[in-house]
Amino acid sequence: MSTEILIGAWIATGLSLFMYSFLYKDNPFFKLGEHIYVGVSVGYGLVITYYEVMVKKLYVPMIQQGNWWLLIPTALGLLVLARFIPPIAWVSRLSFAFIVGVGSGVAIPRVISSLILQQVQGSLKPLVTSGDGGVSLITFAGFNTLLILIGVVSVLFYFFFSVEHTGVVHRVARVGIYFLMVSFGAAFGYTVMARMSLLIGRFDELVMYASAAYGYATLVLLAVVIAGLVLWERGRTVNPASLE
Amino acid sequence: MNDFARRMLSLDRRLIFLLIAVVTLIPLLYPLGLPIRVSPEVRAVYDYIENLPERSVLLLSLDFDPASKPELHPMALAIVRHAFRKNLRVIGMTMWLTGTSLAESVFAQVAQEQGKKRGEDYVFLGWGPGGANVIISMGQNLYAAFPTDYYGVKTSELPALKNVRSLRDVQYTVSLSAGSPGLESWYVFGKEKYGFELGGGCTAVSAPGLYPLIDTGQINGLLGGLRGAAEYETLVDIKGNATAGMDAQSATHFLIIILIVVCNLFYFLTRQERGRQV
Repeated sequence: MSTEILIGAWIATGLSLFMYSFLYKDNPFFKLGEHIYVGVSVGYGLVITYYEVMVKKLYVPMIQQGNWWLLIPTALGLLVLARFIPPIAWVSRLSFAFIVGVGSGVAIPRVISSLILQQVQGSLKPLVTSGDGGVSLITFAGFNTLLILIGVVSVLFYFFFSVEHTGVVHRVARVGIYFLMVSFGAAFGYTVMARMSLLIGRFDELVMYASAAYGYATLVLLAVVIAGLVLWERGRTVNPASLE
Repeated sequence: MNDFARRMLSLDRRLIFLLIAVVTLIPLLYPLGLPIRVSPEVRAVYDYIENLPERSVLLLSLDFDPASKPELHPMALAIVRHAFRKNLRVIGMTMWLTGTSLAESVFAQVAQEQGKKRGEDYVFLGWGPGGANVIISMGQNLYAAFPTDYYGVKTSELPALKNVRSLRDVQYTVSLSAGSPGLESWYVFGKEKYGFELGGGCTAVSAPGLYPLIDTGQINGLLGGLRGAAEYETLVDIKGNATAGMDAQSATHFLIIILIVVCNLFYFLTRQERGRQV
């Protein structure tokens, strides 16, 4: 096994354990891991952005290939930085106007078409279907369609505040609440599944790094973190002022 | 009984963390091999790739970063393995800046396993700035959107991209997304305009929001979370990390269900007592 993989495994194991130490309580190991994460993310983002945007999308096409029209987006980009110079901060509005204008023009028609009109269309399917076997009145798909229709209408009633929720409106809105509860339950169930998946993913690697091939990285670093937390707790007990 | 219920409700939550850790760890160390049932939405993605003719073009956009690796990385490995086994031309890319190296490693790893050549059998375009606008740009002219691939080779000279001038020349696109830009962007700005078929994978958190897209036919299939990845691994008959993690997933879910039931029971017991005191 190469040295770089081994070093990577030890760093990954150490940082995972530092972050999990927060489950005990907020502590210096967690803070160290948190700060390293933020620093590395920003540094990595800067390097990739510099190489992928400044070099590949700007320097090479403009300087080496002579695409001088790229000066226009470059100028618009530079104008955004005028925000940091108060006397000329207003100039940055030109760039923001461009971004908002183009962004809205591109996004609004597409989003309305894809995420509203097509979803409305999906909620209004026929309940009765006809095929080779004749006309079908009661099918599982038809039941689903009916369920979706009742759900959509009742939830819309619940969020319709122009009419007082009494009588029939109250009863329909009440059905809407039940649909919302089922929806929140499903979302929560999937969230639990996602968080458990992340835990399993980390544990999977920690188990792998606990092997002799990786120098028992998990076991050694777990012992180091536990010992560190014990020493930290003792220090806090001896000197309560350090809690501040 | 009520005293016991009250004590249980005020239990140190770190004991529950410990319990979850133990229940997760045991199936990882001693797998049970619980059966995995393949859902129709996962099979739809598999079937579409399975039925593509050789040398068809599959675009795989790995729109996630290391934070979602446990869920989406196994999906990516399984789909790339399937595509290479079917001898498809694979275009890899990412719309997440911080996921670039991770995405690149997926293609490099599977290509090495299956003896595929970069530039001939697959390309990795890397990351492009502009979020969803990259999709529009690729739909107009792929070579203009990505003049070079991740390694700096001119895309117009790559054999794997022969006759692929824009997204209209792509037979199937799969976006494995952890958020935005991701699968939804590919539908809104790509599929509807340029007419390719679209499938996807997502983290479990995003799944409930994306299932309506299947119902309306906006996407043809969806791999949801670790379970979706495990189902795809079952279909391609490769036991990867997702399959290994499913036992632990089932065990933790079982424990959480028990905890929810027991906590509610204790809650109602103590509530009855409070009601009597009032």
